[in-house]
Amino acid sequence: MKKVSIFAALLAAGLVSVSAEATNLVLYTSQPNEDAQATVDGFMAANPDVKVDWVRDGTPKIMAKLQAEIEAGNPVADVLLIADTVTLERLKEAGKLLAYKSPEAASYDAALYDADGHYYSTKLITTGIMYNTSASMKPASWKDLTKPEAKGLLAMPSPLTSGAALIHAQTLASVDDLGWDYYKALAANGAIPAGGNGAVLKSVASGEKAYGMVVDYMPIREKAKGAPVEFVFPQEGVSAVTEPVGILASTKNAEAAKKFVDYVLSEKGQEGFLKLGYIPARNGMKLPEGFPARDSIKVLPIKAGEALKNTDQDLKTFSGIYGSN
Amino acid sequence: MQGYVRAGSSQPAWLFPLIILVVLILSVLPLARLAVAGIAALAHGGVSAVLADPALWSATYYTIVTAILGTLISLVIGCAFAFLLTLTDIRGKGLLSFLFVLPMMIPPQVTALAWVQMSGPSSPLLKALHIAPSLGSPQPLYSVGGIALLYGVQHAPLVYLALRSGLMALPRDGVEAARLSGASSFRVFRNIILPLSLPGVIAGAAISFVSCTGNFGIPAILGIPASIYTLPTLIFSKFSAFTSRTFGEVALLSAIIAIIAVAGLAVQDRALRGRDYRVLGLSGATATFDLGGWKYLFAPLIWVILFFMLAAPFFALLAGALVPAYGVPLTFKTISFNAFHEVLFRQAVTRTAFVNSLSLAAGTAMCLLLVTVLSAYALTRRRDAVSRAVSGLIEIPYSLPGIVIAVCFILVFAAPLPVLNVTFYGTIWIILIAYLSSFFAVSLKPVVSAFHQLDPALEEAARLSGAGFFRRLRDIIVPLIAPAAGASVILVFLIACNELTISALLWSAGTQTLGVAIYNLDDSGSSDLASALSVLIVVMVIVMMLLLELLARRLPKGVVPWRS
Repeated sequence: MKKVSIFAALLAAGLVSVSAEATNLVLYTSQPNEDAQATVDGFMAANPDVKVDWVRDGTPKIMAKLQAEIEAGNPVADVLLIADTVTLERLKEAGKLLAYKSPEAASYDAALYDADGHYYSTKLITTGIMYNTSASMKPASWKDLTKPEAKGLLAMPSPLTSGAALIHAQTLASVDDLGWDYYKALAANGAIPAGGNGAVLKSVASGEKAYGMVVDYMPIREKAKGAPVEFVFPQEGVSAVTEPVGILASTKNAEAAKKFVDYVLSEKGQEGFLKLGYIPARNGMKLPEGFPARDSIKVLPIKAGEALKNTDQDLKTFSGIYGSN
Repeated sequence: MQGYVRAGSSQPAWLFPLIILVVLILSVLPLARLAVAGIAALAHGGVSAVLADPALWSATYYTIVTAILGTLISLVIGCAFAFLLTLTDIRGKGLLSFLFVLPMMIPPQVTALAWVQMSGPSSPLLKALHIAPSLGSPQPLYSVGGIALLYGVQHAPLVYLALRSGLMALPRDGVEAARLSGASSFRVFRNIILPLSLPGVIAGAAISFVSCTGNFGIPAILGIPASIYTLPTLIFSKFSAFTSRTFGEVALLSAIIAIIAVAGLAVQDRALRGRDYRVLGLSGATATFDLGGWKYLFAPLIWVILFFMLAAPFFALLAGALVPAYGVPLTFKTISFNAFHEVLFRQAVTRTAFVNSLSLAAGTAMCLLLVTVLSAYALTRRRDAVSRAVSGLIEIPYSLPGIVIAVCFILVFAAPLPVLNVTFYGTIWIILIAYLSSFFAVSLKPVVSAFHQLDPALEEAARLSGAGFFRRLRDIIVPLIAPAAGASVILVFLIACNELTISALLWSAGTQTLGVAIYNLDDSGSSDLASALSVLIVVMVIVMMLLLELLARRLPKGVVPWRS
């Protein structure tokens, strides 16, 4: 009995300490775990008085979680750091975001943040083509992926689980020469969209597939670690998301949240992203190792407003082509 | 209240109502809430949209097909092991039994991850051995067959355990009588042992089928990359694309899984009805077959099967954790402990997950211990229709898939509690309550069997000498059932530690469990970190099972599942 009560007391203490750890700031992010941890560590080192708890998942899943929490009357997140501005624009229109004018914005291109301060782009993540070094073809254009050499060998992320993949599909679909016909050709060539960019990286690096549509930093970083992969910026250009940061209007920790926004936009925060292998959004920063010169990367345009309006229709079109749910 | 005794009964008057209250909260309320949501969705006409969704029907089809195939595989493996390890003179039965039950205790997503690392072009293990398939070869496990195979491996121990208890009670006299009349071993097996063990086989098949229909970890890792959805993964993906209709839709989907699970149990019930093989003259000794020369075939075969079920996947997992990047072959030059370092010392998520899983498991085990000791006492002392109904209600949440329980509790707690205005949704408490509901029956079983062995005269004597309820509890009941209660605590702890399905829907910031952490790491492309964390969990499971094994000498027979 005595042992039991000691155990119960320990347990109670454990549970209490868990809830006591429930921290000042909750971050929802779509960065991979290691990067999310590094970002949070960097912020906490610069702001020792704030403790950050974070959740990582693909952008659509994060949004679903947030929406379910809002519906239940208990939104947990304070800050979002997720794939694309389109999603944050939608939240802004729904009145869910806090307007905050960060002093760091002065060092950013005006196109990279919301004029009222609802969200700020933090980096440039492009989507191009990766291939396994033992693959027979070295793709140079998006159209190469529809060739017979790539039949059944292409991995691509699903817009249903990845924010970057959605923007990518919307971007390519609005290129005259490609359009939805391009996605139909890929489907005819045996491509099955599944999971997020992590899943694409895994299946190409492992050799289950030979080619993949994927965000730039993953293969470039894995190549540096010795993985048998290469990344190319196709000649038509690449799509890009900017992983914006925004504060939820329902936050109870606005001060800490503002500090977080300032930190990720600051030179120090941006250097952290650079070290992880991302192209920083801030003016005058270097490019990470393994990238070509910035002016040689051609970014395809996307109109955020239009993309936002068409998102549901585009998802339906995509699901229709691939018969996925 | 202490010492208050109702006339003619040894129980305090508050005890039974208290238990009924607990059962109402843990079983009746959530299931009723699910039923209401389902009916409301039906009434609002959302049904036609849900029923017209081809995804629903393909998921139902895949759920049933994989569950049936998985059950067949688990029957083949489970029965073979049960016969060989219970009825023959094969050597090292204790160790073999321990090893064979191990896969059941390992989280399904860890099993899936290990098998993926073991096969296909991605396997660091096969690459290290230079036998990896060529570029572009499909991963064979991302298929209906792959899912069914792993269901079979994961659930074979359930069949083994269900069959084994029946086999242990087989009468040696009957077998000897047949032998003396000149029956061959084969004939004895066919005419005596097989018919007598059929109820065990049917029970094992039903348990395995129900566990397959509710499994989430295996189809999540093997099915989603190939666009094969089962009902639990479909519910999960519905939550990943949350809309205002989601709650109603998942209520209907959960109802379909519940129907399939209940149908499985009903088939078992039907099959067992009218089969009453009463065994006379229990000799207490288990019948044994002398394997003779056959042991040179069976013994190595058993070890080979165990090697492929346990050792090979584990080494593949280890290899996957030790490579520096995906796709790099493992050699002495490339070996890297970075994943373990990252998981153990850098990732806050892993630490949080360890703390959460361990405290949730401990919390569930301790709360249930308290409730089960009181309920087992009340239920074994009162033997009326009400107490039988209460026992039945306690069983229901356990026999339903975890994802259904998770949906039930989301529905109950999605809105803030009335009056108190506190929200459980998104906190650790909702996971704790769902665990309590789901594992109540697991915790209750060993304690009830201990109470059945307890002589009521002891307690009566104490009562006549004027000892109050709590006094009797402290001095007589608790010491006598302590070993069984201890075993029940460890079992619940083990199961709750490895849980994924319930927490996959209920987790939120800071409340990730180990199961969720592994799934998310793998999902984000960090399969080296997922492998490293899985290796640590497998080691933890083995240590806990060894603890239980050490405790086993002081426990009543049958409490530690894999011991004879």
